[in-house]
Amino acid sequence: MSALISVKNLGVKFRTDEGLITAIDDVSFDIAPGQVLGLVGESGSGKSVTAKALMQLNGDNTVYGDESRITLNIPEEPPLEVLSLKREKDMRAIRGGSISMIFQEPMASFAPAITVGKQMVEQLQIHTSLSKREARDLSIEMLTRVGISEPASRFDQYVFEFSGGMRQRAMIAMALSTKPKLLIADEPTTALDVTIQAQVIDLMKDLVGEFGMGILFITHDLGVIAQTADEVAVMYLGKLVEKGPVRDVIRNPAHPYTRGLLKALPQLDDLDAPLVPVAGDIPSPLDRPPGCVFHTRCDQSMLGICDKMVPAVSTISDGHEASCFALEDQS
Amino acid sequence: MTKPLVSVDALEVHYPLGRSLLGTPPVLKALSGITLDIPQGSFFGLVGESGSGKTTLGRAILKAAPISVGSIGFEDGEVSLDIGTMSKAAEKDFRKRAQLIFQDPYAALSPRMTVRDIIAEPLEVMGLTKNREETDARVREIAAKCRLNLEHLRRFPHAFSGGQRQRISIARALVSGPKFVVADESVAALDVSIQADILNLLKSLQSELDLTFLFISHDLSVVAHVCDTVAVMYLGTIVETAPSRELFRMPRHPYTRALLSAIPSLDPDAKPSNLKLEGDIPSPADPPKGCRFHTRCPFAQAKCRTDVPVLKDAGDGAQVACHYWQASLF
Repeated sequence: MSALISVKNLGVKFRTDEGLITAIDDVSFDIAPGQVLGLVGESGSGKSVTAKALMQLNGDNTVYGDESRITLNIPEEPPLEVLSLKREKDMRAIRGGSISMIFQEPMASFAPAITVGKQMVEQLQIHTSLSKREARDLSIEMLTRVGISEPASRFDQYVFEFSGGMRQRAMIAMALSTKPKLLIADEPTTALDVTIQAQVIDLMKDLVGEFGMGILFITHDLGVIAQTADEVAVMYLGKLVEKGPVRDVIRNPAHPYTRGLLKALPQLDDLDAPLVPVAGDIPSPLDRPPGCVFHTRCDQSMLGICDKMVPAVSTISDGHEASCFALEDQS
Repeated sequence: MTKPLVSVDALEVHYPLGRSLLGTPPVLKALSGITLDIPQGSFFGLVGESGSGKTTLGRAILKAAPISVGSIGFEDGEVSLDIGTMSKAAEKDFRKRAQLIFQDPYAALSPRMTVRDIIAEPLEVMGLTKNREETDARVREIAAKCRLNLEHLRRFPHAFSGGQRQRISIARALVSGPKFVVADESVAALDVSIQADILNLLKSLQSELDLTFLFISHDLSVVAHVCDTVAVMYLGTIVETAPSRELFRMPRHPYTRALLSAIPSLDPDAKPSNLKLEGDIPSPADPPKGCRFHTRCPFAQAKCRTDVPVLKDAGDGAQVACHYWQASLF
């Protein structure tokens, strides 16, 4: 099966007053239809920049690398090179149409002075040929699907009248109403309480089964990844340091950073286990460490190797890859 | 049993909801019937969803929320205060004994002050030091305890990462030498790799400086790791308190169990829990009658809709406010 979206050697730099800043360096991944790829990493690791690159939503000061390719393969349509689209007009068909995005903060994503229903109808009219009446019916049907009670009266309300969980549901309903082939979910449950988070995760799982779309699920919470994703990619300072099937990566983490993240997580089944932080802070993108980007915080860093050379990708098992010199020694 | 540092008795916090021409204006009861002892030297956890009243309780104890009914006592061996009725002079003294660490280290620090000035400000406002030398000495001492690089004291907050900023906020809170610290979601805005570092720092400061913490968090796994006692709040009431270990070994209240089972497991093959909560927390302006949790409780019966359950001993140091907690365990 061919990938729905295929990202190859993605490099993103930003032009700033301080010079060119590298945000993403040589990132490659594929997402198949019906597959959920979890993207984890700390703040500043480049998760959101990667997601925005898929829709060319990064700012005007963005420079994409020459080797970068993002290919969108919608079934029964010719493959589309996202980064070769230069005009805003061409991007509009993708944004909200083939690719939809849900954001972390639903309050900030809805317009406060327009009813939720009107916003849902508006985007349907842009992306589909539905009449206003049909768009309204579909929107109410979607609100019902995501578990909002009394959808017809909610349709005419403003976003401030919704609770946090309802806003996130409404956003999911809106993102899915155009039947996108790829959904980008950027920290969709981070602002929610655990009980509501559990509801939203269940809902998203159901909807993947029903619509068969691919999902890029961005989060910093490995527990959420374990419960939602098929594949996981771990990002650090703009680099993919490890990726693979979720079971392999969580049970048998290969990269020191992935192991560090897992060890820093408080576990409920062992309250006596000490919490081990990953030493130090994530460096500023302004002074990216040379060699392996993680070597400044790595407890296995080898002097003269990790601070000089960039580690190659090692294969641990089928589909499970990591970039670390410690792994290269073994093979 | 160590003596309680803070004892909350039948506390209610009301906020007025607009005005009415006739009769008493409507009020929002943010907290109702809170009775709670925080023992000296404990790391006391307060958990619950947003809107459960965790922050309001923390603020009431610091006299930053109106105490409408009930009382809060503070006794640290040197002074004994009734927080609701204390004089202005006593309040001034109380401020240096009880402090708050905020959630968002990006919003809590003034961008126009150096780290040194940020940490020194409480000393200057409270007049705790006589001259600049003494202030500087005190700032350096507390900064070192919070593992801040002393060379960084001259810099401005924008130069620091989230974890470093949170260490600055902690130093600022501790510089007046408080005995009691409210940490309100102090690690919620941090990455996991940094979060563990701050939690370890709070724990070591607690034993080093003999502090009592009220640790407010929505994250049960964090609370399980650092707190020795936990109170679970729902819609302005306490539904369960227990020693941490006991609470996580056998959560008694259906709400506590639902909260625990909602934490996403790291095991991708973990069986989904059958105890899932439906819907949202109701509005505190119009709380359900009887047990406030009955609208979302899978075990609710007729009695729950009319009778308010009170906190009762439930063995092994736990107290639970539920009519049917024993029956609901099976």
